[in-house]
Amino acid sequence: MSLTARYADIVCRAVAADRPEVLESVLAEAFELGRELCELTLPPDEVMQYHHQAIVELAAKQPDLRLAQIAPRLTAPLLELSMAYGLAFRQQADFQQRHELQRRLEQASRLESIGTLAAGVAHDFNNILGSIIGFAEMTGDALPEASRERRNIEQIMQASHRARDLVARLLTFARQQPETLETVNVLTQVREALGLARASINSAIEMSLHSEFSEVLMLADSGHVQQIIMNLCLNAQDAMQAAGHIRLSIIRAPDSQGSLAQFCLCVRDSGSGMLPEIQAQVFNPFFTTKEPGKGSGLGLSVVHGIVAQLGGKVEIQSNMWGPERGTAVNIQLSALGLQPLQEKPLNEVF
Amino acid sequence: MAHILLIEDDPQFAEMLQQMLEQDYHRVTSAADGEVGVRLAGEVKPDLILTDILMPKLDGIEAILALRKQGQAAPIIAMSGGRRSITADFNLESAELMGVSATLSKPFTRAQLRDAINQALK
Repeated sequence: MSLTARYADIVCRAVAADRPEVLESVLAEAFELGRELCELTLPPDEVMQYHHQAIVELAAKQPDLRLAQIAPRLTAPLLELSMAYGLAFRQQADFQQRHELQRRLEQASRLESIGTLAAGVAHDFNNILGSIIGFAEMTGDALPEASRERRNIEQIMQASHRARDLVARLLTFARQQPETLETVNVLTQVREALGLARASINSAIEMSLHSEFSEVLMLADSGHVQQIIMNLCLNAQDAMQAAGHIRLSIIRAPDSQGSLAQFCLCVRDSGSGMLPEIQAQVFNPFFTTKEPGKGSGLGLSVVHGIVAQLGGKVEIQSNMWGPERGTAVNIQLSALGLQPLQEKPLNEVF
Repeated sequence: MAHILLIEDDPQFAEMLQQMLEQDYHRVTSAADGEVGVRLAGEVKPDLILTDILMPKLDGIEAILALRKQGQAAPIIAMSGGRRSITADFNLESAELMGVSATLSKPFTRAQLRDAINQALK
């Protein structure tokens, strides 16, 4: 029996019930049906449709029924059904909310512990690198200038410096880097970072900046803002085959309120997008989809670390199909001051 | 050329530094921890002290305090495995506040070491 037919049958029997215990058992069935409808994620207005349809059927089957007289009998199943539906709906929502909270908590504590671990490892690692660089340098200095051995030593030095930079990035993620907080204009920082990024990003990729403000002041370390933009632009490039666009926008946050105005820094690309299971892992340090040697898996972890340090939040939206294909990284931050543009918004191409 | 007291707990790094300093014709006395370093400083009267910050027993900050108490006049250079990695209480900034002559973040190059030494001995 279809769900509509089941409900119509329940209404019929509720109207016809001649003993209270019969009515009670029919109403229990309505309650059960309400739970089922919620589990099937049927929208509430469709539930109402069931009721209307049942009344129409009842009126057709029993034309001599005076609906006004039996109104309480008619609405009783609907009440049971709605009550069960509402209860189940709330339980579902609670469960989802708890699940989401739990997930965020787990991610936060995982990132925190990896951060602590990273700081400890980084300290020892710098000691080791110190020895490698020092011995290599002394050996190199003792070798003839144009010799192959000297060049090899220089390779060791270069590799060690790369390792040192990696450790520094790791430490940024670990949020142990003492930052020099100052009032910075995010717009200026973003422009500078885009200028820098332009030099290393494929020229077939169009880069643009859109801003609703002429000035966005916030308390931050200028290097951090630039690092966020650089990391996101490089990721965006890697998500694209050859051509495409990276659009950076600075807009008022939708839920901006209170004395500290919130703004959104959004970097959107027209790249390949990500599967949800990839999206769930992108903030984990060392997680990368790039080929070995291409990515350290620290780019987004660093972004996450910096944004958390600045008291903001990062969200990712990604589509693999359709006109909205690509990934958008939205960063919401608090501003000390926002100077909106009086006329039209600013649009620049890099 | 100077007589340098090197306080460093990582034996490999200490060996490297000792060689590097000796190649620049400095005389090096080496101590593997802060406690030994402070004792040796009183005995050998170095021209310069090069000390690590994070060490077992007496760490660098405590060592600097003890050296100052001792009335040690030699300039001090503080080194650490990245000024970012250590806790706020024992970092190079604290060392700077305590009046060390220069700080070095590991890993550093020979040129950076020479600059720090020249600055400290000035």
